[in-house]
Amino acid sequence: MKTVLLLIRKDFLRFKADTAAIVLTFIVPIILILIFGNIFGGGGGSRGKINVIFVNESESKIAKTIEAKLDSSDNIRPVKYYIDDKPREKVYYNEERAKSAVEAGIFRAALVFPTDFISDTSSSLNIKFYYDPSNEIEISLIQGSVQKLVMSEVPALLPYLFRKQINKQIGKAEAGNFQSRLTGLIGKFFDVNPDSISLLSDSEDAVLNTSVNKADNPISNLIKFDSVQLVGKEVANPGVTRIVGGWAIMFLLFSLTGAAMSLFEEKTEGTLKRLLCMPVQRSQILWSKYIWSMSLGVVQLSVMFIFAWLVFDVDIFANFLNLAIVIISSAAAAVSFGMIITSFAKSLNQANGISTLLILVISALGGSWFPVSLLPDWMQVISKGTITYWSVEAFLQVLWRGANFSTIAPHVMVLLSTAFIANFYSLLRFRKGKVF
Amino acid sequence: MLKIHHIVKHFGRIAALKDINLEVARGEFFGLLGPNGAGKSTLMNIIVGYLKPDAGSVSVDDRMMVYESMEMRSNIGYVPQEIALYQELSAIDNLKIFGSIFELSGKKLQTKIDEVLELVQLSDRKKDTVKTFSGGMKRRLNLAASIMHNPPLILCDEPTVGVDPQSRNAIFDMLKHLNESGKTVVYTTHYMEEAERLCSRMAIIDNGTIITKGTLSQLLENLDQQKSVKLLKNISDEQLTQVKQIGNIIEHEFHFELIPDETHSKLSEIFSKIESININPEEIALTRASLEDVFLHMTGRSMRD
Repeated sequence: MKTVLLLIRKDFLRFKADTAAIVLTFIVPIILILIFGNIFGGGGGSRGKINVIFVNESESKIAKTIEAKLDSSDNIRPVKYYIDDKPREKVYYNEERAKSAVEAGIFRAALVFPTDFISDTSSSLNIKFYYDPSNEIEISLIQGSVQKLVMSEVPALLPYLFRKQINKQIGKAEAGNFQSRLTGLIGKFFDVNPDSISLLSDSEDAVLNTSVNKADNPISNLIKFDSVQLVGKEVANPGVTRIVGGWAIMFLLFSLTGAAMSLFEEKTEGTLKRLLCMPVQRSQILWSKYIWSMSLGVVQLSVMFIFAWLVFDVDIFANFLNLAIVIISSAAAAVSFGMIITSFAKSLNQANGISTLLILVISALGGSWFPVSLLPDWMQVISKGTITYWSVEAFLQVLWRGANFSTIAPHVMVLLSTAFIANFYSLLRFRKGKVF
Repeated sequence: MLKIHHIVKHFGRIAALKDINLEVARGEFFGLLGPNGAGKSTLMNIIVGYLKPDAGSVSVDDRMMVYESMEMRSNIGYVPQEIALYQELSAIDNLKIFGSIFELSGKKLQTKIDEVLELVQLSDRKKDTVKTFSGGMKRRLNLAASIMHNPPLILCDEPTVGVDPQSRNAIFDMLKHLNESGKTVVYTTHYMEEAERLCSRMAIIDNGTIITKGTLSQLLENLDQQKSVKLLKNISDEQLTQVKQIGNIIEHEFHFELIPDETHSKLSEIFSKIESININPEEIALTRASLEDVFLHMTGRSMRD
């Protein structure tokens, strides 16, 4: 037993000395639990609200009530206006502006209550939902929340809509006579005052004040929920097209960080020193490593996308030039990420631990695994500081939306600027001999 | 050929090299001896331009070596202490990489590869990956990779560490051959036997200071005490204590070495003392003074202390 205890102590000491193992064992899971916990509830924080354009063009009181419920929704943040630059003033969305915003990728969905939300000639509610399903989870959540919210009003609406239907069929006066005869019969049969019986009201106020059990009513076809997909209808394989960019950038980060960190291996093996004792400059070693890693990244991403094209029919040729630009800028940013870790880490173990932690965290935060909009607001702010976010968004723009260069230019600029700054610092440290 | 002037190097508060001055003539096989941590590798790293000295200068053929200057590195073939090879690549690929850095290419590169592989006797294994090589073979290839560019000055930093005797002899033969063909060799080691066997001139370094330098005979001449007595290790502790009254005892792997002090200058006197301690005369042998004795004499301690 003493020997076993000694061997356990040996393992403990080795574990304690292994920074990477400690980070992977404790820090990474804790941070991922924090992120997932915030998305799926609990964990001391609430999930972020998804921004949805909301346009209410109806004068209906019911529409106003649903709008009020949307305003206080836990899942959706209705966006009703934007600030125009010239002149700088609030501009409320109308249906057309909302559609344009979704088509341009500014928002993923728009909910419109049109002027005929409830019309005298119609016996159903008209709701329009414009969406871009580039992020399926997000759209499912928005649709689910909107429908749940509207449907919760259905039981109360039913008698009202039935009355409108009857009014339409047999005329308002006849419908009134029919209802008073019916309430008279019910009152006589149950020995209650017929005036206390409210069946089919044609007043919106009565609808809003009703106490009908809403959950038990299965009739929902009186709501005309008109969903219109604005973007990505022509995408051959929406499922894979959505995820391929996110997963590609995550694996790119892993492989290119590894390639950059091979400098540590060369140091341990002594080959780095041998090179430095030959007519080779430190900066030449760094540049060669950078260019090699970059080429590897471009080839890796190309192989991934070609595979997605061959096997899953993801259309990579429709917007090939812009896809190539995003691939190159993503690879540049990913290599610089590896370089900066290599230049600041003190050992291969430390670099491994830090890089694994950071890659998993920025993949979760940046949208590789799930839409960023599911994160709490404060995490969404952090998300925009990750190269994953800009890369994933750029891939989505190119593959899903067929975006032109001017649309992806900001994404490309962020990725390339990050690469430039990170490379500048790592080159500086490397040249000064602070790294090796 | 190689001139080292007033080199000083500190690592933090530790003085690794304190005012080192050395000159190595063209065609010399020069040994730099010293225990581990004496400063040998630091000095080599400065000579080759890998480390920047705090003060002092190094020149090769009267041309100053500037830290990180590319110009002079082609004149030096550095054989590092580590096996600095790409283990997953073949011997020939390693040599191609290191040869190409010195702008060898095409037929010239191929000829040079064949030549060095022949020298280190690895021609038949040239296509095998380095990781399949024995320790000795790796050491030989390590040497080959350093001389691809035909440098006039070869710096060997303990090139036989962890090598079996057969490979060690092969490396010695290669280095001798290179030296005989006109190369200047600077060889660091903590094995005195290696220096005695290979080097025409040598310096002993300890704690960052050159404590003595010269040819082997010059170093031994300077030694006051040239007598030593070899005692087998099967003597008792009590006998050992009595022997220590005669002089200093150096413990080797299989024997003790007694260096008689100045008061015991006559051999007959030493023998009679040893006999009086009841050590069997058959267990006594006379050995000539060695570099180990020089080190002991200069520092008051053994190389392996």
